Amino acid sequence: MSKSDKHDHNAAPMVDEISDFEVLEVAVRELCIEKGLFTQEDHNEWTEYMHTLGPLPAGRLVAKAWLDPEYKQLCIDDPVKASLEVGIDWINSMPSKFGTPSDYCNPRILVDTPTLKHVVVCTLCSCYPRPILGQSPEWYRTPNYRRRMVRWPRQVLSEFGLQLPEDVEIRVADSNQKTRYVVMPIRPDGTEGWTEDQLTEIVTRDCLIGVALPRADRKADDKRPIHKAVHPYGH
Amino acid sequence: MSKSHHVEKATGIGDPQCFKGEAGKPKFGVGDKVRIRNLPDIFYTRSQMYLREAEATVVKLVYESPPAEDEAWDNTDSPEWFYSVLFRQTDLWPDYPQKFAGDTLETELSERWLEPL
Repeated sequence: MSKSDKHDHNAAPMVDEISDFEVLEVAVRELCIEKGLFTQEDHNEWTEYMHTLGPLPAGRLVAKAWLDPEYKQLCIDDPVKASLEVGIDWINSMPSKFGTPSDYCNPRILVDTPTLKHVVVCTLCSCYPRPILGQSPEWYRTPNYRRRMVRWPRQVLSEFGLQLPEDVEIRVADSNQKTRYVVMPIRPDGTEGWTEDQLTEIVTRDCLIGVALPRADRKADDKRPIHKAVHPYGH
Repeated sequence: MSKSHHVEKATGIGDPQCFKGEAGKPKFGVGDKVRIRNLPDIFYTRSQMYLREAEATVVKLVYESPPAEDEAWDNTDSPEWFYSVLFRQTDLWPDYPQKFAGDTLETELSERWLEPL
């Protein structure tokens, strides 16, 4: 390495170009505003609303269902009504008041059993139950996850650290029409006598997508371990 | 904000709820064996190639809605029944390990994509 190409410690932008799809989104959005389909204020209200959403209500829904068999049945029979009890109104709370193509108002709770494990993917692009789970994680939208989860679910799950025995049926739900799936995992051992609040804390986003199982010793807001670099650069 | 007919219809009711009762009598019932048709899809579809011509079982009648092929063009005139269907992974992928023959995949298709088996 010559002196001239030595790392100069100037921070490079994380992303230095935008994709064709982002250009397309900006163009279509500006056209919609110009033609009066919606206003810039409508758009701001929508994006701000989207950023208030997260997976907590779905975690609470699962915790409530673990404690109350009647509520669990309601989750299966009428998930829109069950969502109201955790503060999510699929139909009326969104600024559009009717759901958008990526958030249709047809949630469905997939209930795991000791011999059946559900996992959710959208092979088309990124359908996700946003009103009750918030924005999808980046990996959920990658072609890698979408292509491989339907084809090699056990291998992909093991990459998430989830290895399931042969006698457990893995059921992949491909969310490619108007239903938005939420996985209800089985209540883990070691949570006997826990309150709804305590149980809610262990139902993480990944448990609700189905790529992880809840554990009594792992909470959604636990501090993440810091793994130091084995060969740190430069210094 | 100017509203198209679809928006007005769905406001306060939800989509696909707003199409309830518009698809007529469902052609298939829970438990029916079906094959996924391999229809042409020059413009738009949400029916994935990997499901075409595979055998499946209807497990749930989920809702009535215009099929994606129509809705993409804002055509909501002919809603269809949508079915949740269950595939065996070994039927979808020839080299899926027999060891895991119990594994399944569930997804939804509109009525036009199904033929009785």
